[in-house]
Amino acid sequence: MKLVGAALIIFTAYLMGCQVCALYQRRVRYLEEIIMGLELFRAEVNYGLTPLPQAFQNIGKKFKNPVGSLFVDFSLSLLQGKGLSALECWRAVLEKRSSELALKDEQMEILERLGSTWGQGDKDGQRKQISLIQELLKHALEGARNERQKNDKLWKYLGLLGGVTVVLFLI
Amino acid sequence: MLDASIDIKKQICPFLAPKLRAIIEHLPYELLAKTEEIRLRFSRPLLICWAGGESYLGEDGPVAGPGEAYLLSGEDLRQTIELISSYSLYACEDEIRQGYLTIPGGHRVGLAGRVVLEKGTIKVIRDINSCNIRIARQVTGAGERVFPFLIDRRLGRIFHSLIISPPQGGKTTLLRDLARIISDGIGVLGQRGQKVGIVDERSEIAGCYRGVPQLDVGLRTDVLDACPKAEGIMLMLRSLSPQVIITDEIGREEDARAIEEAVHAGVTIIASAHGSSLEDIMHRPILRELLEKNYFERLVFLSNKRGPGTLEMIIEGERGLPLYSANTGGEL
Repeated sequence: MKLVGAALIIFTAYLMGCQVCALYQRRVRYLEEIIMGLELFRAEVNYGLTPLPQAFQNIGKKFKNPVGSLFVDFSLSLLQGKGLSALECWRAVLEKRSSELALKDEQMEILERLGSTWGQGDKDGQRKQISLIQELLKHALEGARNERQKNDKLWKYLGLLGGVTVVLFLI
Repeated sequence: MLDASIDIKKQICPFLAPKLRAIIEHLPYELLAKTEEIRLRFSRPLLICWAGGESYLGEDGPVAGPGEAYLLSGEDLRQTIELISSYSLYACEDEIRQGYLTIPGGHRVGLAGRVVLEKGTIKVIRDINSCNIRIARQVTGAGERVFPFLIDRRLGRIFHSLIISPPQGGKTTLLRDLARIISDGIGVLGQRGQKVGIVDERSEIAGCYRGVPQLDVGLRTDVLDACPKAEGIMLMLRSLSPQVIITDEIGREEDARAIEEAVHAGVTIIASAHGSSLEDIMHRPILRELLEKNYFERLVFLSNKRGPGTLEMIIEGERGLPLYSANTGGEL
């Protein structure tokens, strides 16, 4: 009986460690998806035909939540016709989705910066601005990947060891 | 009759910055019903204009002088442009190059600012500091008075016609209504609907928004939006089999060649040109050539003497015989 209890405690602690790892993995995935979404938008700008709200409606459908809903929410708030600027809409949507995105502050800051580029300037200008933000995001993605690698094993071991420690105490 | 049903509150206000929207929304109905233009200029008073009048607007409605009027901020203009372009200046470059944007309802927004050139032609307008929102009002029935003069009852066809008037004289309005009448057909005159093709280089006739006509141009009408006239006419002839082609403001060499082509292909041409008299037109080489070759069988002169679209005179093209004159009080 004691043995089963100990195994349960160790297993639970291990799972908790995995949970923390998943956060790092999610961050990487979200950043990858956002970069990909921006790439799709850049293609739309190239053809110069689809207006921003429609473009993000289409792009949003291609991704899972929360990135998909981030894009779709953005397009819906633009289409609401309340007269808000693209920057205001983007900020509001980011704030609403920030807890789900679980990005670090500096990563969120890059995303916030995107707000002031939407719909500004001609084709060339828009393309350049998107590329610039993409660069920053790629940099952030690199960091997130390193972190994931570093923390992946660390947290799993920590969970395991934590569980063992608790068990030793209890025995 | 002016179509007062155009609801500025519903059609224009969603495209204005919140502050401007609040001002325009609270204007009395009588004022909105006659408003033709809303002028937005950076750090200058907000102004609305109508035929023969204008009014400065303050935060609580019309005011007496520019001193009390609401001065537009850069933010107001920026927000308005953002809304008008649907947050996508990159998608409207071609239109901006022409100096305007079209919004749903066919309303046109003229733009001014700093022009960026590329190889000597306009690439884009940046730092937009002035915007003129022109409210498109369809004047249904504008062509009913003119139309009977344009039908060849003997052969049951419509004459090649040229509509001549000074700017703001109602040319485009007349063309649009003629398109509607010809396309839908008028039973009374025994005129069945005909296939009409509109080559709308400046998106003024049909007021297209993303290619869809926003004004009534008839059931059997195809519109080539933002298409250069000469190429558009040839394209129409090749693929859309129109019986009547309608286009505005002709005057370039290639327009003349395309019109010749259409006339010889048995398609009726109805076009317009700037000018206030036959002499004006005869001074322009291309139009003079077209008239001398007798391509146009009817010339319709408009003016804005008694409001836009005042019918001045209709003459028969070949011999110059007057068929209608406002001076003598009507039909001759």
